[in-house]
Amino acid sequence: MSGYLYEKDLTSMKYAILTSTRHDRMVREIAAELGIPQLRLRRYIMNRFDMLLMENLPARYEQGKRLVEEAPSPERDLRPHLYSRAVPLIAEEEMDHILSRVRELMENGTPRDDAVSAGRALIREAIMR
Amino acid sequence: MKRTVDVSIPVGPVHPCWKEPARVKCETKGEYVLSAEVELGYMKKGIERIMKGRPWQEVMFLAERVCGICSVIHNMVFIEALEAISSIPVPERAALLRVVVNELDRIQSHILANFSYCYTIEHETLGMYLLDVREKVMDELERITGARVTCAYIVPGGVRFDLRADDALHLRANLASIEGEIRRYMGMFENGPLIALRSRGIGILTREAAREAYAVGPTARASGMPETDRRLRHPTYQKLGFSPLSREEGDNYARIMMRFQEVLQSIDLIRTCLDTLPEGPIRGGGIPGAGEIAYSGEAPRGELSYFIRTDAAGRVLDISIQTPSIMNIEACCHYMLKGVASLADVSSTFVSSDPCIACTER
Repeated sequence: MSGYLYEKDLTSMKYAILTSTRHDRMVREIAAELGIPQLRLRRYIMNRFDMLLMENLPARYEQGKRLVEEAPSPERDLRPHLYSRAVPLIAEEEMDHILSRVRELMENGTPRDDAVSAGRALIREAIMR
Repeated sequence: MKRTVDVSIPVGPVHPCWKEPARVKCETKGEYVLSAEVELGYMKKGIERIMKGRPWQEVMFLAERVCGICSVIHNMVFIEALEAISSIPVPERAALLRVVVNELDRIQSHILANFSYCYTIEHETLGMYLLDVREKVMDELERITGARVTCAYIVPGGVRFDLRADDALHLRANLASIEGEIRRYMGMFENGPLIALRSRGIGILTREAAREAYAVGPTARASGMPETDRRLRHPTYQKLGFSPLSREEGDNYARIMMRFQEVLQSIDLIRTCLDTLPEGPIRGGGIPGAGEIAYSGEAPRGELSYFIRTDAAGRVLDISIQTPSIMNIEACCHYMLKGVASLADVSSTFVSSDPCIACTER
């Protein structure tokens, strides 16, 4: 046998999940915040997440947003927990690295907004890689 | 993303202990489970798509058919969402009757979940005892609503049928019998050495993990999160002085015991409703209109949310249903199963989270 008996191409089912009302709203919000094309983000999520994690994404995203609101700056603005744990778009180690880079920029006198923008650019780069 | 691993063991999609099909792919190192991944799509109904564009009178029947086990709460949340959109008042007697039927539904669902767990750990005797008690609850549901499942009991502005005096007497008598039996079986579960071996310290979901995965219902409450109970925010439950239960262990044992405890709590709630049931109408009338709302209720498995947009004629323009099983199965497969010491515990841990694939694949 050349493959598993039940190993199927789940692309169309995963796409159906991602285009439901709440998933679509979530993808649009993340894509707008990180400056990533929506199609690219959808494909990234479909390649990376299993179906159940995808089904649960809106609940995790909303919960992640609530948790982030309690965090101090720059975590509150960059939302590392949201993008590495709640919606695990990038690995935690990579996110820690980005966060320490943002902190370093702020300590060297870069305005907070610019440092956060630089952090978001690094997240975008990690996803688009 | 597909990965190549040393040993990838698929469990399901058809498994003798599971009620519905799902495929759990376990990556293992010997017997030790490193991680698990889930594939769905074996029974997708597309019910949200069917609902769109239809009048509420049709959608209320479709909503019940999302899940055959907890159909009452789907009916209740959908109708209460419509009532919230159109500010339709509900007579007090009807509000309490809704609680009675909803709690009966919760009891039968919890008993069925615990039966499944006992069956999975090969304790068929206790499982069959539990199924026997469940029949009494189903009989009561049928006596009050006219049907065992998909009762369509709750309608905008009230309920469909009143509770007759002799039915209330019968319900009280049956509740006493159910309570006695549940206490006995709970004791058997609590003190059973075989059950302890298969359940204690297995499939642990920590409070932090439960919070991250947004676990809900008894699964979350067994990990020390009583605040997840949506009944705390429901006006009728608030009047009844409801306070949620919780446990701290977070393992298979805690989840099953949590359901047993909640069965007893539901029996108390029904008794309180019967004691305080006022005379009066059961239907106040009211027609759903245009609006948009996100409305949640506490299903037997946890928070059930409906996101609805309707037009002036009460047609459902857009609807999205977030069922509790989505969150709980995700928490189970990505947190509880990770680190399970034996493959034999995969199926029992999966069942302990009371997975409903019909809800997940609505």
